[in-house]
This record gives sequence, C-alpha cells and structure tokens, in this order.
Amino acid sequence: MGGWLLRRALQAVATLVVAIVLLFVLMRAAPGDPLFRLSADRPISQKEIEVLRARYGLDQPVGRQLLAFVGGLARGDLGVSIEYGRPVTSLLVERLPATMLLGGSVLLLNFTVGLWLGVRQAVRRGAREDRWLTTLSLTGYAMPSFWLGLVLAWLVGVEWRLLPAAGMQDPLLSSDAGVLARAGDVLRHLVLPVLTLSVVSIAATMRYQRAAMLEVLHLPYIVTARAKGLSERVVTWRHAWRNALFPVITLFGLWLPILVTGSVFVEAVFAWPGLGSLAAGAVGARDYPLLMGASLLVAALVVAGGFLTDVTYALLDPRVRIG
Amino acid sequence: MTAILQLLQSAWRNPRGRTGALLLAIVAIAALVGPWLLPDPLAQPDILAGGLPPGPGHPFGTDQLSRDVLARVVNGARISLGVSVLAVALSVTLGAAVGVVSGYWGGAIDAALMRLVDGALAIPRLFILLLVLAVWERVPVLALILIIGATGWFATSRLVRGEVLRIREEGYVQAAEALGARRRRIIFRHLLPNALGPLLVAATLGVGDVILLEAGLSFLGLGIQPPTPSWGSMILDSREVMVSAPWAGIFPGLAIVITVLSANLFGDALRDAVDPRSA
Amino acid sequence: MSAARWRPRLTVIAVLAMWCSSRAGAQSESATTTGIVIVTGQQATTPVPTLMEGAANSVGNQDVADQLFLRLAEMGPKLLTAGDRDFVPALARSWTRRDSTTLVFELDPRARWHDGVPVTARDVIFTFKRAKNPDLAPRVSELLRQITSVTAEGDSRVVFRFARAYAEQFYDATYHVAPIPAHLLDSIPSDSVSRSSFAASPVGSGPYRWVRSVPGQFVELAAVPDFFLGRPKIERVILRTAVEPSARLNLLLSGQADAMDIIPPPSVGRVASDTTLRLIAVPSSTMGYLLFNQRDPKNRARPHSILADSRVRRAITLGLERNQLVQAVFGSHGMVPYGPVSQLLWIRHRSPRAEGPNVSEARRLLAATGWGDSDADGTLDREGRPLRLVLSLPNTSGIRRQMALLIQEQLRRIGVQIEIQQLEFPIYLERRSAGDFDVDFSSVNQDPSPSGLTQSWGCTGGNNVAGYCDRGVDSVMEQAIGGRGDPGEKWIEALTKIEQDAAATFLYAPAFMYAVNRRFRGVTITPQSAWLSLRKWSVSPVPIVGRSH
Repeated sequence: MGGWLLRRALQAVATLVVAIVLLFVLMRAAPGDPLFRLSADRPISQKEIEVLRARYGLDQPVGRQLLAFVGGLARGDLGVSIEYGRPVTSLLVERLPATMLLGGSVLLLNFTVGLWLGVRQAVRRGAREDRWLTTLSLTGYAMPSFWLGLVLAWLVGVEWRLLPAAGMQDPLLSSDAGVLARAGDVLRHLVLPVLTLSVVSIAATMRYQRAAMLEVLHLPYIVTARAKGLSERVVTWRHAWRNALFPVITLFGLWLPILVTGSVFVEAVFAWPGLGSLAAGAVGARDYPLLMGASLLVAALVVAGGFLTDVTYALLDPRVRIG
Repeated sequence: MTAILQLLQSAWRNPRGRTGALLLAIVAIAALVGPWLLPDPLAQPDILAGGLPPGPGHPFGTDQLSRDVLARVVNGARISLGVSVLAVALSVTLGAAVGVVSGYWGGAIDAALMRLVDGALAIPRLFILLLVLAVWERVPVLALILIIGATGWFATSRLVRGEVLRIREEGYVQAAEALGARRRRIIFRHLLPNALGPLLVAATLGVGDVILLEAGLSFLGLGIQPPTPSWGSMILDSREVMVSAPWAGIFPGLAIVITVLSANLFGDALRDAVDPRSA
Repeated sequence: MSAARWRPRLTVIAVLAMWCSSRAGAQSESATTTGIVIVTGQQATTPVPTLMEGAANSVGNQDVADQLFLRLAEMGPKLLTAGDRDFVPALARSWTRRDSTTLVFELDPRARWHDGVPVTARDVIFTFKRAKNPDLAPRVSELLRQITSVTAEGDSRVVFRFARAYAEQFYDATYHVAPIPAHLLDSIPSDSVSRSSFAASPVGSGPYRWVRSVPGQFVELAAVPDFFLGRPKIERVILRTAVEPSARLNLLLSGQADAMDIIPPPSVGRVASDTTLRLIAVPSSTMGYLLFNQRDPKNRARPHSILADSRVRRAITLGLERNQLVQAVFGSHGMVPYGPVSQLLWIRHRSPRAEGPNVSEARRLLAATGWGDSDADGTLDREGRPLRLVLSLPNTSGIRRQMALLIQEQLRRIGVQIEIQQLEFPIYLERRSAGDFDVDFSSVNQDPSPSGLTQSWGCTGGNNVAGYCDRGVDSVMEQAIGGRGDPGEKWIEALTKIEQDAAATFLYAPAFMYAVNRRFRGVTITPQSAWLSLRKWSVSPVPIVGRSH
C-alpha cells in the first residue's frame, strides 16, 4: 500500500508539473501584451511603458520569468496581479470562498438529489418515471449554462422579482443584522446560480448512479435479501445502494473540471464574486500572473481530486491497486 | 462493420434513440437545405425596425439589427453541426491513434503519453482553448475545427487504451500474436474493430459536448466571427437585450438544447446497445 | 400518485414561495434608508490620486477617488478647459493670477482630512512632488509637465508656476490630480504606498469617506458629517460591481440597485418602461470613428495602396448614412461628430454640422480614382484587384460589432467590400499600435481638454497609429493650445482640415442614458465624472412604491 501510494503521489506531482509547463508555454506563446491595453483609449509614452514593464517584471526574458515564477511558487508567492496591483495569492484567497460555496452547493445537490434520482431510476428501470427522468436530465445537460443563467436571471430575477438576479449579498443589509439574516440573504442569492449549474450537470451523476445501481441489483445477494422478505425500501437503500455508491466516488474527479468551466460562465452572468469571473477577466486583460495563478489553482484541484478519488477507491477496494 | 450496423439498429429500436436520431436528422436537413429556403438573414438589415417580437412575418422575431432570428438560427445550424462533427471526427481519430500506440506498445511510450494526457486533462479544456485561440489573429472556421479537435482527444485516448489493454488479453488476439501475425494486422483486424463500439458512443456524445463548447467560445467572442451566424454568438449578441427582446437569445439557445439533446439521446441509446446491462 | 403523497411537497413549495415574497418585501424596505446602490462595471482597486497609473487608471478607481478626494477646483457646467473663469471653488476658496505663468490658490481654511487634520499648503506641495515623479506616476507626470514648481506661502496659499503661457494652465493645475494627505503618507516610502494600509483604506478630504471593499462585490462609502461644503444627504453609497453588462442591467431592473451609468442603447426602452426609474441623457466622452491607415500595413515605409488617396477616403465617408447608423445603434441621443470631437469637448458647441451622405458623389470620386466594376460582381476593382478593405475591431465591443455590420452593408452599395475582422482585445491593440490594419474601428474616451487631439492627429503624436500627417493641422493646433487669439476658433480650423482630408470617418459621439431611481431628488450628473455631484442629491421623504410591470 505504501509503495503504491507513493507512486500515485509522484504521478500526481508529475501531472501538475506538466500542467504548469503547458500553461506557461501556452500563455507566453500568445501575442498581446498586458500593457498594450493601457493605450486602448489614450496615448501612452515610451517612458510610461518602460516604467510599468519593470514594475511587473515583464522586462525580463521569458526563461527567467518562468524561473522566477517557480521560485516564487516554492515560497507560496504567485506574483502581483497587473490588473489589481495586488498579490495574486491574496486575490485567489479572497475569491475562493465564493466559488467553493457555489461549487459545494452544486456538489451537495448532485450527491443528494442526483444520487436519489439515479437510484429511483434504477429501481424503476424502464418504467415511465425512469424514461422521463432520463429525458429531463439529458435536456438539462444539453443546455449551455450561460444561456440558462441568462434566461433564469431575466425571468425569475427581473420579470417576476422572486429572487435576486445577480450578486452574492445585499450590500445595504445593515451591519448589525444577525447571522441568520445574513445567511438567509446569501442563500437567496445562491439559488439561481446553483440551480443553473445543477440543472446542466445533474444528468452526469444520475446516469452514473443508475448504471452502478443496475450492476448491483443483478447480484445474488439482493435476490436473497428480497427472498428473505425484506421491504423493498430496505433492500434498495440498505443493501443495494451501499455497494452502488462506491463507483460513484470516481465522479469526484470528473466533477471538478465541470464545475470550474461552468462557473466561468455562470459567475459572469450572475456577477458571482468567485474565481471563475476573476479568471475570465484575466484572460481578456492578459493579466499573466493572475491567469497563471488561477489556472494553476484549478489544475491543482483537479489533480488533487483525482488523487483523492484513487486513494479512496483503493482503500475501499484493494483490487484496484493490482490493476 | 456488421457489428456497427447491428449497434445502430439496436439503438434505432430504442424509442429515445429513435427520437434522437430523427431530431438530429431534422437539424441536419435544416443545416443542409435551410439556407436555400430561407433568405440570407444578412442581406438587408432594415436598421430602423429592430427587435420585433415573434409574429407572422418573423416566426422567431427579429434581433436588434432586425435580422430574422429564424433565418439566423437555421443558418447557424450549418456552422454548429459542421464544426462539431468535423472536430469530433478529428479528435476521435487522434484519440484512437494515441490510445492504440499507448496501449499496444506500452512501456516508456505509454508512460510518457499518459503523463501528457494527465497533465492536459488537469487543465479544463476551456482554459486551453482560450489560451490557444488567443495565438490566432483571426480564427477561420477550419482553424477552429482543428483547434477544438486537437484539444478533445485526451479522454478518448484513455478510453481506447483501456479497450486495447482489455482486448489484448483476449484469447484470439494472443493466439494471433503467437501465430506471428503482423502488428498492423492485429491493430486493424482485431484491436480497432473491437474498440469501435465505445468509440462510436464517445463520438456521438462528443458532438453534443463540442456544440456546447463552440457556443461557449462564441459566447466569449472567440469562436465563429460575424457576420456568420453561430448559435453562441447569437446568444452573445442578445445579452444586452435579454430584458427587452428575449426571443433573440431564447431561440438560438433552444436550438442548441434540441441539437445537443438529440445527439445525447442517440449516444445514450448506442451506449445501451454496446453495453446492454446498463439499459 | 395519491393526494396524500403530494401534500408535503405542496407545503414545501408554499413555504418557499412565502420566503421568496417576504424577502422581496424586505428589499423595498431597505430602500427607505438613505443609501444608494450604484452599479458599476469595475471595482475600485486603488482609488488614490498619484497611484492611479497603469491598469489602475480606471473608471472604477476614478469614480471612487472623486468622492474621497476633493480637487482644488472643479470644472464648471460648460466644461471649458481654456482660461480660469469657468471653474468652481472646491479645496481652494479663491485664486488669483500674478502673471501669465503664475497662479495662486487660497485653500479653504475649513477643509479637513477625514481624520480631522486640516488640509494645508504642505499637502498640495507633497502631492505635486509625488505626481510629477515620472518613476512613480508616469502618466500624470506627463500631463503635469508644464508645471515647473509648486510652492507654499504660509499654511493656506499655494503658488503654481508654469513653463510658458498657455490656455489650459488652470485646468492642468486642478483637474489631473487631487491633493492627498502628507501627514499620513510622508512616512511611507513612495514606492510602497500602493501596498500600504493607506491604499487599502484611503483617507481623503472629499464628501464621502472610505468604509470597506468587499472583493468582487462592492465598495462602501459613508457621508462625512462635517464636510465643509455641506453635509451629504445620502448617508451610504455602495458602488456595486458587475463586470457582465447583462448582470448590471438585471441588478438595476430587479430593484437591487438604484442607479446605473451607460444603459446599453437597445435596452433603454425597457428601462424607460420601469416607472421607478428616471432616465437622464449624459453627454459622453466617447467618440467612435473609422480610422484609415495612410501607410501600408505590411510595410510602413510605403503609402497604403488604396487608402493613401484622400478621394477614396472621402468616398467612404459620403457612402455612409451616418445619422441612420447613429440612430440605429444609439437612438436619439447620439450625434455624428464634426471632426474627432466627443460631446464632452467644449469646442463642439462651435463646430459646423457633419456632412450628410452623398452616394452619387461617392461613386464619382471612386470612378475618378480608377475604381470600376469591370467584372460586374458588385465589387469595384482596379488593375484586377478588388476594392476590399479589412475593418478591425475588438470582440469586446458590442456597439462596434453591430455598427460594423451595418457599415459593411451600406458600403456594399457603393461597391466597397468590407471584411470584418474581430480580434481579441489585447491582439487588437497590439496590431493597432503597430499600424497593422486597413481600417481601424476606433473608439476613444476623451479628456475634457482638446489639447489631447495632437496625440492622435499631429504628425509626431504618440497615438497617431495611422500615419496621418498635415503640417497645417499641426501648426493650427499649436496656436490653439498656446492660447494666442481665440482658442475655440483655432480648434475649429484644425477640425475643418482634418474633415477635408478625410483622415477618418467620424461616426458617433453619443450621449449615454443613465438611470436613477425616482426617490432621489436634486439629481444632476456631471459628464466628466458620473457621480461627482452625488453629495448634493437627496432622498425623497416618501418612499416610492410601485412597479411598472
């Protein structure tokens, strides 16, 4: 186990290194200089350009910039954002909670409602409910998240005024409002973005759970359990679902990229103050340090997700380690 | 090939698969002949009468530049379907090639390729595309197809590698190897045909993914360039008029939903045919 | 499914609905407090004069800095930048002129920093020392280059000396930089101010003080109760950020915000239908034009093969129905400018009207330069080469994208084929700066001063990317800036030359619509900075309830 774990960990680190180099090369190969945008609507003098280049370290050769970046990374320093003039790490730290809240809520919904629906589908395999749930979830899966977000914000937020159309909290909420009022406020703002991301993603979880459950429902011990006269609910949830849950763990690895990519659009549409909207802005501005930091964070999350998934899986099922 | 035909047949027998196939066929026909039936939506923007709601003359209304939304949606079908089908064909080919090489040769090649794939998979595809597209000054449709295709094979190569590893262990392949069959023969006679089913499923589901991806890129202004209508750029154009002329954004979105859904329904039916236990 | 099984679900739905509607009620409740929520596209990062350099030179920072820091004097309603007369006292109570190169300001003795310390001449001198340091403030120091010295005479008198006599001395001394507090900053090394606690929580002398910034969401300001020019009536100001334009609009229309600048023109009608909102047309600093490259994009030493001929350029101008373009995209509040002049520049009040379309004259000009349709395909050609031009624009601009499509259509009628090239923003700028374009769809935001025009239209101008050069224009602009004679008249002379040369087709100088909730009274908006006069607004005592739809 120890050797396997070590190898798997080294593999994760190697993956991350490949990702860092890929990212750095891709980013610097792109033409466009962060300073050029400053001359967008006003003249900019040569002196001004030189001063700013030196300030952002862009006057160094690319190789040295990469070295400086890796050196900084080792110290937990990702450089200073050009757009915000502040350390990238502190920007990421500021924005991470909002993305985690959004992503976490979507995950929670997926791993409760999604799994529950998936199990129901498997139990009623082929029945009308199964067919409709499949079609409905696939319809959601076929929606571009930004489109669904735009439609929901317009309909629910603007036309019906049922829920906030954008943002994460009411800025006028007085500062002496209680914790409950604040939580309620954030919760109301959370509904539409979470709904959007959940609708476009829940199909994946449902399909996965349904397939896993079907595998298990074939097994003899389920037949035995039924034969013992146990109620259908007990058979489904106590006996079958326990074993059908664990292939679903692999979904975690699959999940992070979906959430991150989806949140780039959804955060923008709902003005959600998370990493996605931060990254989207950084691409347009060629804010190298910020974009690099954000991509790196995402890559690290994906790699870590994959690693943890494998480890969990291995702990639960020793056979994987051999394969 | 007969195996593939059988797969398609059994997917057709599945009601959802049939619905998907029929819808997909309708979209494809619209993409092929629609532009002839409907006037070129760019020909005469009548600039003083934009944003008309759906009505007799314009079933889907007009956008803020008073172009007929229906005509643009139909014209956009050609771009969206064309781009996604070609890009998926490319990525499936690349993925199959890398997967076979990796799975069959193994060793250092396998390790190197799979580390590269791991690294690439760790960065969300959208990020890669954003960075790569920035290198191009102006993205012609062909280049967009190449780029999307070239960034979509990572997962497919994993899939094919897995299949190859599995099939290699089967008795008949080992027998063929023992009899001294040439590598090329083993790959094309045994490995690839047996991996075709999962590949077809991946390709069909990939079409839906790429339509969504292309829409996302166009929504960020990085995909198809105007005045060529694409569903994503139509939604982009409609953002600021969502509150005043929602139809300009809702209909192209519905077109995406219907197309992607039908591709996924069909792909789902195919998967069930490949692996009947999950049906 | 039985009714019994449905009952709990219905209960859940009912509770949810009640929760939603009760919260919607709470929203209008907060409207009775004296706070205002303003939607913005950019969040302030370092809203401190002398620090707004590079990427920090943004509207987001300027809007907040204008509330926190008071200038020596503000511009008058005419936005006249020449001379000393049209300005209004702010930090300075009065001013006098000793000679043509010396200007003296008397500070208002009542002025205080937000920590209670009086504002003195020392602060002003400290500020200009920082602002004129090109290593700290490369942008502002360039704007202040004509100021040779700033000295104190006692605690409340400041003397500005200029390198030469010119029309905009007063404007240069007051507009570009507002004083910052020396007593809080002189202990901080000048190159680390932007990372100091001062930058994170600035202390100024303006009507509002800094409260907090919530990253990615909003900046909160609070009224300074003993502000010496009168206590602001609105107590809390929230500048709420939403980068995406549709999200900004949704915040406004859902009642989550009270005010918004620059409503996207196609949505003005929808905003107008909301009876709780008042629309205000505000002249903007924006000016859009088709810039013709005079030089060959691939070889700057050679003239452009098509556009070097001013007759072709004029034909394109005459082939466009510019009024219709402006009407279609901006509605009734846009105008076609005469020369490179936005609605913010005072010189526009004296300029002639822009020329209307003249398709037959356009055709004649093109025929005179040898362009004909020999293969009858609808596109003109000459020596076997079609009259095809690439129009470059950034993919971030919806307005330019829309207008480009209409231009493409209109020019097709006179046989000019336009290929629209939409570029990602950084690439667009890089190519524009390198002069790598045929026709550039430019859009600029102009300072209130016309003297910036030399940068784009003077032979040696730093932003003259198209290689336009006319010595006559240069000399007239020089005279206008020097202030000999009537600067306004000289500026018009320069504009007329630029128009006659068809250096560019000047397309639009819009007024943008701003929306402000009707419960605010005394609402005025100053074009040079949207919320500058916020301290004079008040809130209606009776909350206005009601929705339009």
